[in-house]
Amino acid sequence: MSLKETLQSGKFVVTAEVGPPKGTDIATMLHDMHLLKGKLDAVNVTDNQSAVMRISSVAVCKIAIEQGLEPILQMTCRDRNRIALQSDLLGASVLGIHNVLIMTGDHVSAGDQKGAKPVYDIESVQLLQVVDGLNNGHDMYGNALKGATSFFQGAVVTPEANPLEPQLMKFKKKVKAGANFFQTQAIYDIDKFKEFMAFARQFPVKVLAGLVVLKSAGMANFLNNNVPGIKVPQSLIDELKAAGKEKAGDTGLNITARHIRQLKEEGICDGVHIMAIGMEDKVPTILQRAGLL
Amino acid sequence: MIITIKKDTKKLLETLDRYKSFYLIGCSECASLCGTGNEEAIKELTEALTAAGKTVTGGIVPTTGCQTLGTKVELKKDKDASGEAEVIIAMSCGAGTQSAVEIFPDKPVYPANDTMFLGNMTRFQMFDERCSLCGDCVLELTGGICPVTNCPKGLLNGPCGGMKDGNCEVSADIKCAWVRIYERQKKLNELEKMEDIAPPKDWSKSQKPHSLYNKEDKQKDKAGATHSDKTAKSVGAPPLKEKK
Ligand code: SF4
Ligand code: SF4
Repeated sequence: MSLKETLQSGKFVVTAEVGPPKGTDIATMLHDMHLLKGKLDAVNVTDNQSAVMRISSVAVCKIAIEQGLEPILQMTCRDRNRIALQSDLLGASVLGIHNVLIMTGDHVSAGDQKGAKPVYDIESVQLLQVVDGLNNGHDMYGNALKGATSFFQGAVVTPEANPLEPQLMKFKKKVKAGANFFQTQAIYDIDKFKEFMAFARQFPVKVLAGLVVLKSAGMANFLNNNVPGIKVPQSLIDELKAAGKEKAGDTGLNITARHIRQLKEEGICDGVHIMAIGMEDKVPTILQRAGLL
Repeated sequence: MIITIKKDTKKLLETLDRYKSFYLIGCSECASLCGTGNEEAIKELTEALTAAGKTVTGGIVPTTGCQTLGTKVELKKDKDASGEAEVIIAMSCGAGTQSAVEIFPDKPVYPANDTMFLGNMTRFQMFDERCSLCGDCVLELTGGICPVTNCPKGLLNGPCGGMKDGNCEVSADIKCAWVRIYERQKKLNELEKMEDIAPPKDWSKSQKPHSLYNKEDKQKDKAGATHSDKTAKSVGAPPLKEKK
């Protein structure tokens, strides 16, 4: 079933991130995809994440299809101008890729190609409008396409942004621009997330909660200090600490599983997006503990 | 104003190694305020060149280095000194340097400065970039704070996910442009301006090289093309079609 159909059916959706490798050796990635097959509703393929150059997300999405997975193509505005973005979208479409997740993209200064020219010719809100145009059979200058796309398009939002209001205003623009679903930055405080959902529920969009799997108290502190829009509550940090070095990793899996269970059972959002960051092989374990397998 | 910084003197001397005599041209406007093209800067470079065994035949701080005609007239007074020099060193911005190239068609012209940005002088010799000359100004939509320039990504529709506690993803030393815009719009009671989607920028407006001819009579440029009055040479792209 396509992601669109799954979300529309009301089923609690589970997606996970797949990061394309840097280099042509894709053995590990194929192994992870094999483990995930049949257990997820879609895999989300990152686009040169953190501005670190890797295999293109279009290529990896195509491989995901070949491996029997439903891909979500992440597209950032950092590396391509409007011509290249539209062209890649048409290319993705003919390869059978029909879900896109539009985002601004981390600045090149974060990555491993620091002298690169940051593009941002158009940005996330405008690119959502462009996708909408392609779906309606015309490019962004109104030229007719011979064959339209049929993208199910998503966008990102940071529920814990500080200050929050400008972020929510941008969320509204993204809805207006045609976003069908949202994937959030990692959330850890479910009660606070409920407040965000009370806002998001006013709009006709589906929301997948982003969940980054914690490995240790150290990682939680790192996220709090360095990653924008992520706040791991002290109670979770204490829980990881109490588990001790050996068991912290396993406790991290439990925390994610527990959050998935609560989000689903209380009907807080429409699904989750799991970012295991290098532990893709642990995703089935998380799903088992969450009672989803 | 145009912000310039001095090139490294040692490297500059290396590039000038094969020449013996120099005439220096500063600028009394931006380059003087930057300290790169005033009397003092000329004196400093003269000393460095002399110490390296070179001859400086003279120097001048013209009123406006990039005003080609005016500078040419001012330079006439010092014709002998500039004529003696093998090489002209321009101590202005890249524009002033190229005015010197026009004025001295038969001599090599070397830049002494690197030209950085259009800057606001916030305090004496402290400059910040506020406008990057995009040719399609959106300040009326953004509370007078330019996102094209102040946001490293030039975003037009609000903050990116990299904003952290009001600061920019790229550097914690700068405040997120969109948080600044938001705060100002809120203060001015104009937050509703942030609700409309800003369309993609028309980058054809910043297509280089620009020309603007404000004179009533038609003029001819070097390439032989004629321009009618009050036209910038960049051509705009067709407008984007409205969504149905
Ligand atoms: S929008 Fe363009 S013209 Fe206006 S201040 Fe910014 S860069 Fe300058
Ligand atoms: S944090 Fe703000 S200023 Fe920095 S890149 Fe993002 S939107 Fe632009």
